[in-house]
Amino acid sequence: MHRKKIHMLVLVGGFVAGGLLSGSTASAAEAGATAAMLANTCAGCHGTNGISGGPAMPTIGGLPANYLKTVMEQFKDGSRPSTIMGRLAKGYSDEENALLADAFSKFKWESAQSHPNSKKATAIDPALAAKGAELQASAKCDKCHEDGGVFQDDDTPRVGGQWLDYLLFKMQDLKNAALKVPQPKKMETAIEKLSLEDLTAIAHFYASKK
Amino acid sequence: MSMLNRRGFVKLSGAAALVGLSAATVSRKGFAAAKGHVVVIGGGYGGAIAAKYIRMADPGIDVTLIEKNEFYYSGPLSNWVIAGFRDIEVQKWGYEGLKKHGVKMVHEEATGIDPAAKTVTTKSGAKIKYDRLIVSPGVDFKPVEGYDAEASEKMPHAWSAAGPQTVTLTKQLMAMRDGDPFVMVAPPDPYRCPPGPYERASLVAHYLMKNKPKSKVIILDPKDKFSKMGLFTGGWTKLYGYGTDKSLIEWIPGGEGGKVARVDAKTMTVHTEMAEFKSSCINIIPPQKAGAIAEMAKLTDESGWCPVHFETFESKIHKDIHVIGDSSVASPMPKSGYAANSEAKVAAAAIVALLNGQKPGEPSYVNTCYSLLSPTSGISVAAVYKLVEGKIKEVGGGLSAGDAPDFVRAQEAVYNESWYQSIMADTFS
Ligand SMILES: Cc1cc2nc3c(=O)[nH]c(=O)nc-3n(C[C@H](O)[C@H](O)[C@H](O)COP(=O)(O)OP(=O)(O)OC[C@H]3O[C@@H](n4cnc5c(N)ncnc54)[C@H](O)[C@@H]3O)c2cc1C
Ligand code: HEC
Ligand code: HEC
Repeated sequence: MHRKKIHMLVLVGGFVAGGLLSGSTASAAEAGATAAMLANTCAGCHGTNGISGGPAMPTIGGLPANYLKTVMEQFKDGSRPSTIMGRLAKGYSDEENALLADAFSKFKWESAQSHPNSKKATAIDPALAAKGAELQASAKCDKCHEDGGVFQDDDTPRVGGQWLDYLLFKMQDLKNAALKVPQPKKMETAIEKLSLEDLTAIAHFYASKK
Repeated sequence: MSMLNRRGFVKLSGAAALVGLSAATVSRKGFAAAKGHVVVIGGGYGGAIAAKYIRMADPGIDVTLIEKNEFYYSGPLSNWVIAGFRDIEVQKWGYEGLKKHGVKMVHEEATGIDPAAKTVTTKSGAKIKYDRLIVSPGVDFKPVEGYDAEASEKMPHAWSAAGPQTVTLTKQLMAMRDGDPFVMVAPPDPYRCPPGPYERASLVAHYLMKNKPKSKVIILDPKDKFSKMGLFTGGWTKLYGYGTDKSLIEWIPGGEGGKVARVDAKTMTVHTEMAEFKSSCINIIPPQKAGAIAEMAKLTDESGWCPVHFETFESKIHKDIHVIGDSSVASPMPKSGYAANSEAKVAAAAIVALLNGQKPGEPSYVNTCYSLLSPTSGISVAAVYKLVEGKIKEVGGGLSAGDAPDFVRAQEAVYNESWYQSIMADTFS
């Protein structure tokens, strides 16, 4: 518990120090806003260090840098559907998006189930989660979202341990063909074969991961 | 403790700052040994986050937060309480989390600031010395004829850090007879939470539709237009029959007699220039100005608000004093909780830099205000800002789409509550 907190503190301290160093060699205006300055503006929605207070805002702290950068670019150019990110992403340059992606990727992921607010959030249904576990295996989601979705690489975001309400929204969006949610072809084919009910069960499974 | 000892201790055990050893237990000498002492007045959306982020960025800086109340009741989402679908307890926050970051709490009212001696005086007469002071006291009200402290108990504003006023208005609405109007007097610009009165009207209309269908909301407004107007009136048309003679909301703009001349709490009447409105449930949101302590310390100009430099939020009037949140003038940023949070972080980073002998870096600011049209329909305004030639400039953002499908409105309603959870955790834990 304590160790986690200290870890976060050290990271933030590190950012600020880095920012200050660059600030002292160039004038502030030339240097642009530091990664820490930019990332702190997102915390009002995504939580301190990108760890969301839930129940629907996604945790972004600890996601892969490449994924974060791609997503911000897609929000900005409109190729990724969103309720609000598309509007916000327009306010950042490509360099700033790269800084943001780098900053958030360096924070330590904390799963929704270990957040104190998880008790107040939409409860995970163990029966649904068990059904979801089977469904995602037979649909071969786990070819990419390995280890119950806890795995991540450059392109694949971690889904295991994400907030349930966010995953439920995501599943609805994925089933809404008109939205054209960016995703790999193999995932699209797999999703097509599943009903929204099936995907709801899979969301419960992913969200249950610690 | 000597400077060397203290620094050495922090170095050996980074946990010291976290467990609150530093500010809470060191002597006055200890303060002098730190890199500096920052005092913050007001533990709301602006002040609390400034205190925390200074400590997070540099545990070598001592921070004292002066907040008159033991608990903070959030204004954001308090309209949900009034409309009967949220418990006031969910709005209540304490300061234990800030103490864990090593912020020293002083639960007293700040009664004076001496910018020359660099001290803050509290009600008990204590004088607290600062190297830099952050002032975030929220808003105070300008006079409305007939509206004194006693009248505000009968015709609540429910517009300060929520709490008792919110509870009074909720009870009045619940007790109101079916057929009586819910009369709201909206404030002139600028005021805290520009979409707030219209969110309140929406949610009260939703309550009336379910519980008191013969009643309606009457908004008496000195203005002729308001924040997110198209989204609100579009929502009202769809949900509450706005524009028809059965409408649950009637909005009377300034140009059509909405300006209020005086109120009478004894007879529960609001007098406009042409008419009078009576009800058992009247919500007066008065015109606003910077918090009293800011005015007392002469941090305000003739507008009643505090002019600041936007790269640091340092006052243009007094050196070493930073004013953030509702009290400052930061337009085009609105007076909102999100803006206060964002301004606080810019001020905190600047103060950390300055106390370390560095130049403040370039700022970046964000605002978002979610509002509900009904419990399952949300809208928002969002913006990203930069400093351009000394002024705050919007560089991206916008409103929810006017023609957004229902599922998007439903998602935004859920994201609204989620925003609250994240920003409150950012602020108080
Ligand atoms: C009904 C309503 C709905 C709202 N909805 C939203 C929303 O959805 N989104 C949003 O972003 N914003 C919203 N707001 C606006 C938001 O509440 C304010 O903009 C925000 O609180 C401003 O922060 P602040 O730090 O300036 O002031 P506050 O949060 O009001 O904090 C000021 C603090 O200072 C303390 N204080 C004042 N004077 C002294 C003194 N002399 N000594 C010691 N302590 C003192 C007060 O007790 C208080 O705790 C809403 C406001 C209302 C009323
Ligand atoms: C007003 C609240 C708000 C703010 C501020 C905000 N976000 Fe978001 N963010 C959301 C919401 C809501 C979503 C879900 C997509 C949507 O509907 O817009 C999201 C989604 C995301 C995602 C996708 C997560 C995933 O798992 O695919 C990323 C990445 C992201 N935001 C990054 C950021 C960054 C970086 C910032 C700051 C520059 C930021 N956000 C500021 C609300 C916000
Ligand atoms: C071929 C590899 C692959 C397969 C198979 C796959 N996914 Fe994905 N998934 C991805 C990648 C890559 C992304 C990120 C895509 C993007 O957003 O650009 C993703 C994104 C997601 C997201 C959104 C995460 C977020 O944070 O927004 C969900 C939910 C998801 N997948 C669920 C599933 C489910 C359920 C299945 C099985 C039916 C599945 N995926 C199959 C690779 C895959």
